[in-house]
Amino acid sequence: MSAATISPEIARRNRRAGVIALCLALGMLGLGYAAVPLYRIFCEATGFGGTTMKVSEAAADRVAVTDKSIVVRFDSNVSSALPWRFKPENPTEKITIGARDMAAFTATNLSSKPVTGTATFNVTPTQAGRYFAKVQCFCFTEQTLEPGQTVRMPVIYYVDPAILTDPDTKDIEEITLSYTFYPLDRANKGS
Amino acid sequence: MTTIAANPADLHDHDHAHDDHKPAFFQRWFMSTNHKDIGTLYLIFAIVAGIIGGAISGLMRMELAEPGVQYLQGWATMMQGSEATLDQAYHMWNVLITAHGLIMVFFMVMPAMVGGFGNWFVPIMIGAPDMAFPRMNNISFWLLIPAFLLLLGSTFVPGGSGLGAGTGWTVYAPLSTSGSVGPAVDLAILSLHLAGASSILGAINFITTIFNMRAPGMTLNKMPLFVWSMLVTAFLLLLSLPVLAAAITMLLTDRNFGSAFFNAAGGGDPVLYQHLFWFFGHPEVYIMILPGFGIISHIIATFSKKPVFGYLGMAYAMVAIGVVGFVVWAHHMFTVGLSVNMKMYFTAATMVIAVPTGIKIFSWIATMWGGSLSFKTPMVWALGFIFMFTVGGVTGVVLANGGVDDNLHDTYYVVAHFHYVLSLGAVFSIFAGFYYWFPKMSGRHYSEALGHLHFWVFFVGVNVLFFPMHFLGRQGMPRRYPDYPEAYAYWNEIASLGYAIMAAGMLIFFINIAYALVAGRRAEGNYWGEGATTLEWTLSSPPPFHQFETLPVIK
Amino acid sequence: MAFASWTKSIGFAALALVTAPMALAQTPPAPPVAAPTPSAQVAPAAAAPAAAAEAAPADAAAATALDSSYTPMAPTAGKGMPIEKGLDFQQQYSELGEYAHWLDTSVLLPIIVAISLLVLGLLIWVMIRYRAAANPNPSRVTHNTAIEIIWTLVPVLILVGVAVPSIDLLAKQYKPAPADAVTVKVTGYQWYWGYSYPDNGDFEVVSNMLSKEDAEKRGEPFQLAVDNRMVVPAGEPIRIITTASDVIHSFAVPSLWFKMDAVPGRSNEKMLTIKEPGVYYGQCSELCGARHGFMPIAVEALPRDKFDAWVRSQGGTVKGDQVAAAPAAAPAAATTTSAAQGAAAAAAAPAAAQ
Repeated sequence: MSAATISPEIARRNRRAGVIALCLALGMLGLGYAAVPLYRIFCEATGFGGTTMKVSEAAADRVAVTDKSIVVRFDSNVSSALPWRFKPENPTEKITIGARDMAAFTATNLSSKPVTGTATFNVTPTQAGRYFAKVQCFCFTEQTLEPGQTVRMPVIYYVDPAILTDPDTKDIEEITLSYTFYPLDRANKGS
Repeated sequence: MTTIAANPADLHDHDHAHDDHKPAFFQRWFMSTNHKDIGTLYLIFAIVAGIIGGAISGLMRMELAEPGVQYLQGWATMMQGSEATLDQAYHMWNVLITAHGLIMVFFMVMPAMVGGFGNWFVPIMIGAPDMAFPRMNNISFWLLIPAFLLLLGSTFVPGGSGLGAGTGWTVYAPLSTSGSVGPAVDLAILSLHLAGASSILGAINFITTIFNMRAPGMTLNKMPLFVWSMLVTAFLLLLSLPVLAAAITMLLTDRNFGSAFFNAAGGGDPVLYQHLFWFFGHPEVYIMILPGFGIISHIIATFSKKPVFGYLGMAYAMVAIGVVGFVVWAHHMFTVGLSVNMKMYFTAATMVIAVPTGIKIFSWIATMWGGSLSFKTPMVWALGFIFMFTVGGVTGVVLANGGVDDNLHDTYYVVAHFHYVLSLGAVFSIFAGFYYWFPKMSGRHYSEALGHLHFWVFFVGVNVLFFPMHFLGRQGMPRRYPDYPEAYAYWNEIASLGYAIMAAGMLIFFINIAYALVAGRRAEGNYWGEGATTLEWTLSSPPPFHQFETLPVIK
Repeated sequence: MAFASWTKSIGFAALALVTAPMALAQTPPAPPVAAPTPSAQVAPAAAAPAAAAEAAPADAAAATALDSSYTPMAPTAGKGMPIEKGLDFQQQYSELGEYAHWLDTSVLLPIIVAISLLVLGLLIWVMIRYRAAANPNPSRVTHNTAIEIIWTLVPVLILVGVAVPSIDLLAKQYKPAPADAVTVKVTGYQWYWGYSYPDNGDFEVVSNMLSKEDAEKRGEPFQLAVDNRMVVPAGEPIRIITTASDVIHSFAVPSLWFKMDAVPGRSNEKMLTIKEPGVYYGQCSELCGARHGFMPIAVEALPRDKFDAWVRSQGGTVKGDQVAAAPAAAPAAATTTSAAQGAAAAAAAPAAAQ
């Protein structure tokens, strides 16, 4: 190789191109991590995957009540690592679209030790997520139950009347709200 | 590091200033900075990995040859040194499918295409003396060795129900997190990290080389199509692999440090992992096939004695495939519970890829149209590639339909599809390229007769092996099953027979290579004659240790 | 390593070559796909629970004796299961399945075969016509704008043509289930399925694969047969909600064109309507660990009255039992009490499950 083939000028340009390419790669790495919060924001904004909406009391008060009704089903799951019984009080309820409603689940600690649990949730059909608004709920608030203790967990929610006009959701007659309770510490190891 | 390597004064002082003054053995092969030597190392590595990955698929076809679990328990017992339970035997199966997938993707096809042919011919084809960062090139290769050892090593440590990582090459959470207790999956993930880092460094090197090191007159629009394909591939690697790295790092922290990125119990979402994985995984399949497109273009042109038809269309089709490849990933997740609009979008976007792919297929045929075709070994492989890739491509259009995919998803139809585009697509193009360039790289001719024989035996073998899988998939046989109901026995047995034929074909390949190296006729510079027009044919076979002392000028 | 594996492969090759023809000769012909009337297909099951089944509807006025008998339906050979040497999809037993099957067989398959044959034909043509011996002087043509536009536009038009029914199929597949659909919650476990019926007393049926001996004893295909099937009514919309308890599983039944992943921590929902009674088999379709291949799915579709009887036999409750028993009672009566009545009527039924 002679000096004519790689001049200091080309070496410099190589360095620059290499650094730019490396930055691109690092940027994509950053985007990979950024995907975690972005995905959450995306889900919360669009109801993707049946993510429900969180609304304030004030916003809930402004919603117009319609004369249409819809059935809401309540589904409960408990991780095998959590010694709880967790059930909705009623499996289904017929509610008025736009009106605020309260549903309750009961959870009982079946073990002889205090146990803390936390819940995940979504609704199906998943496209209903963006119209299912929760004003207040126990999701992701840690719940500690003493041995044998039973608590009632209320969810205050409403179904946004916009569900009636969205072509993807106007045919929905029943929405299922599903909760899964997990123990708070690393849950399902070897379950 | 980069400064030193690219500094001409530094190189000048060393004793490789003269063309064929090669460094001593250790220095040449272990501390190599020569793109051709590194390319050779990559090719040897890919062959070794291919033998291991191919042997694993042989074990799989052996087990699947008839209903019932015949061998797994014995193999698992052998691996762990104590009587294996049924669960351990079934886990062994999952380890085999995982290892086969990872080895073929990361340690066979990618090293052969990008590391092997890319390193060998990108600098030569653009008239450059070497890669832009020769030492980084060396690091890229040597990162692959520990990566491979980590993956092989993972099969000897616990990974859940038995030894080894049994998560599938997709490493889906939560099977790969809470579902696989033990260090095996950690080792497999670290292996992917190293292989990924190796490829990212390689991609940086290729991009820099192609942008900056072209000989005078070699404009982007005059670049050989193989270089174009490597440029697109390098960008795909650069943009997709870091996302995989992020995803599997999150898997590692979920596994070991109590984070909950993909753990529903902590508020994470396992589906997010699939989005991240396939954001990498779909470009990855184009990474494996695009260099093959480049190779095939050269071979078709050479043996038609005609320039490539629609050169610009060919180049831009590859760019289009690369770009669209980034926005179709969720078609791998059609059954995970996507919304209707997303499923419609990913159905439509996926079908769009058929258009640039079609342009390529028809342009190859148009290149041959009016040509003067000679059917040398590389040409028959290239012709085989075009047809087999078409078959694999059209079944992709079927799978792209989200509604139809509901039945075919995760069945043998999918296995048939991706083996037609990879095992009969990418691998055919690798063999085509190997036969095309082997005399150039080694200076020795192989036996044409054995090359043709290899083609025909392999061609029959892989078709007997993979075509029945379409039927199995349509009948509903799921993937990743070590055993199956009686009704699937017929086509499975035929598929296993096909494997045996294919294996015989591979034997011919190795005999041919051994023959060429020992007794092969010496190859002249341009042994393909007037049809071969790219710069590698202006050099001797093998090319001098350092080529292009004086840069060629492209008119 | 290499040599060992290759010798093994060769030995295997020889073995396969020797045994293949024998095995082929032994393979019995594929059973014909049964296409008789629905009534003929349920016949074996209907015959079994004879007394109770026939007595109850016969005497409608005194409907106090609620049917709670259940005998697993015998599967029909070739229906709802793979067939030997099969090339096509399994015959479909849902309307959407038939539509999707039509889309594949009548639209996609002809197109992909035609494209493959076109490419093959062109390849063979150029190989013969432009071989060096026939055409020693190659042309230098490298451009033809017209043909390039054609081979870009024609595939686009074909794809648009394909996209129309594809999008339509997707829209139909996402039609939500009506409020009165039977709801079945499917839970994937390592490595079995649980089916619970929240509207029928929320009992859960645990479904494990049958051993080879047990499957043969019941006359069912091994690796598809299960001890307790997911029983649903035929001809009615069913809302299937999937979730998983540990890792991701996938609930799949090929003859119903149904596949839905079961993801821990979230639920998925999809409607299914099975056209006629029968047993429809499926298998877990997402890698879920060691026994991924050994957690099959068996869906048994029954006429409505038989389904109700099955629910009672599981200790579940049937909506309307109260009404049937005492037509004069208030129609709004809660379903909770009907379990007791069902239990009283059918001595075999245990108390309602929680």
